[in-house]
Amino acid sequence: MEHIGEVIESSTKGFTAQSPKIGKSPSFGTFVKTDSTPVVYGLVYEIITQSSEPGRKPTAYDMSIDELKREQPQIFELLKTEFHVLTMAHSQSKEIQFTLSPLPPPIHSFIYECTSKEKRELSEQDFFLRAIMSSSNVPVDDLIISSLSNADKIRKNDDEYIVRMGKSLSRYFKDDYERLSSILRRIL
Amino acid sequence: MKVVRRANLNWKARFFYAFKVVLFIYFVTNLKRVIFSLTLLNFHLVKSQIDTMLGERKHFVDEFSEKIKLAQHELHNKSQNWEELSQKIEQSKTSWLLAGISSALDIRIPLSDRPVNYTAISSDGSQIFPDRHEVLPCYLINISSVVLNYGENGSANLSSDPVLFFKDEDRFAIWEGKKIPANSNIISHKRTLMEFERLLQLASENSDRENIISISDGTLILWSLEGSPADFKKVILEPFLKIMDEFKNRRVPIVGYISYPGSTDVVNALRLGLCPEKVSYCNQCPYTELPKLPCSPIEGLTDRNLFSSLLKEGEMSSVFRSSSKILKSYSDHHIYFFYLNIGAEVARVEIPKWVAEDPDILKLVHTLVYDQAKKGKGYPVVISESHEQAVVRGKDRNFFFDLVKESMVKADFNVSISRKGISKRVPGV
Repeated sequence: MEHIGEVIESSTKGFTAQSPKIGKSPSFGTFVKTDSTPVVYGLVYEIITQSSEPGRKPTAYDMSIDELKREQPQIFELLKTEFHVLTMAHSQSKEIQFTLSPLPPPIHSFIYECTSKEKRELSEQDFFLRAIMSSSNVPVDDLIISSLSNADKIRKNDDEYIVRMGKSLSRYFKDDYERLSSILRRIL
Repeated sequence: MKVVRRANLNWKARFFYAFKVVLFIYFVTNLKRVIFSLTLLNFHLVKSQIDTMLGERKHFVDEFSEKIKLAQHELHNKSQNWEELSQKIEQSKTSWLLAGISSALDIRIPLSDRPVNYTAISSDGSQIFPDRHEVLPCYLINISSVVLNYGENGSANLSSDPVLFFKDEDRFAIWEGKKIPANSNIISHKRTLMEFERLLQLASENSDRENIISISDGTLILWSLEGSPADFKKVILEPFLKIMDEFKNRRVPIVGYISYPGSTDVVNALRLGLCPEKVSYCNQCPYTELPKLPCSPIEGLTDRNLFSSLLKEGEMSSVFRSSSKILKSYSDHHIYFFYLNIGAEVARVEIPKWVAEDPDILKLVHTLVYDQAKKGKGYPVVISESHEQAVVRGKDRNFFFDLVKESMVKADFNVSISRKGISKRVPGV
């Protein structure tokens, strides 16, 4: 399996990874993992493509992507795609623990998309929803929707699962009916 | 009543507080001004000198349009019988550089169609000069490599390689038979040579590509070597000419691109045309008693001024021969040049003799240099990218010396720098 990113910034609550190819990153709400020990699991919550040099800024060329590749090939070497991951869980051995990792992943660790089995395991309980909700600086509602949709796809639209997660959400948002309603309407 | 008085007191307290804040800001602002006036350039004094400079410049601008008209007239006039002027240029001895002429001066060559696929290569260099106030006498040269492939398989390779020089043979150079420490002049020449070596390496690595052009930032005329002694000149010039040989053998055009050129070779040739003497010898000028020399009416114009009024976008001028002294050592690689209107400005493009004499390659150079400048919004993109890859900024320089120091400390070396070095880093109050 090919890696989909490399850690370039690392902290306890989350990490940033650079994609090996411009514009190619795991999509928003994807469950990912590191190849480090302990393995750190997380959710992609921000994807950025920008100039790789701080003093330079991309400008418009008024050309299609194909034309740009033919006539301005250097610009693709001067861009980078990065994605931010919110840490949800880690595993020292085989078992996944739904707490922050005792150590953040080392810089330059590779990032892989989680296997279906891992995704199922990570989303089985509502811990990942709690991790999202308790984070600042992440688009909480949309991340809940995307990650739940991804978890639901693996289960091939398991109604019981969606109802169970919906119940968890209703507990979390018991004081904010409007917000809960907005999230649930967008999931279903 | 009590309530009202308390409210008044609050209002007064607020007013005094605001007044104190204003006073504090005023004090801080003025303090900053006093400190800066002591430590930085005194811009009040500079500004008055800028105004004087502009006053004198205005005089030149007023005369500029007249000069341009006269120069244009001369350009067309001398083109009628350019052989005569060419002969006069060959025979005369002036104090200025004269453009060698082998065709009419006012030729305008239109742009040809660009080949779909082509490759542009460039290399640039940057350095950290040795500093005797730093911990170790060493220096660094960073050389960039840029290869841009255009067309069907568009791709780009951008990189740079730093090289640290610390051995005795690098730190010293032979200058007039003496061994002297490599100074900024010597290191700059070494860097120039490394840039051309890298260009050749890139050309050979991409020899299977069609329509390849190598563009160097600046002149191909190493005129700054003119003042160097023969032994040092040889160290730089011999390998440089070997590189030029290789480019010629590979039929890869090498081009020197000069943005916003200040050269006056063609204007000087016209000034020679204005001289009433059949053959001019400036050191025996018979007109020095006159209020104005016969050659002076177009003095002060640059070739750029002249060709900006002649060439339309995309057009190139005739090809001229440079008469720079150093070119006597270039043997088969004498440098020629032409002017090219790239839209945003008129640039000077320098080429070796074999390129000037090959109409197909010359046409390719014309088209590709123009395309590069258009792609780079007024400056060849391959050069600007190679500059970006090579550049070593001030903070990189500090970090470099810190890294050297840190590595020395880790390796248990005794680290000491001069008091001047410390004073520069941490100025006291």
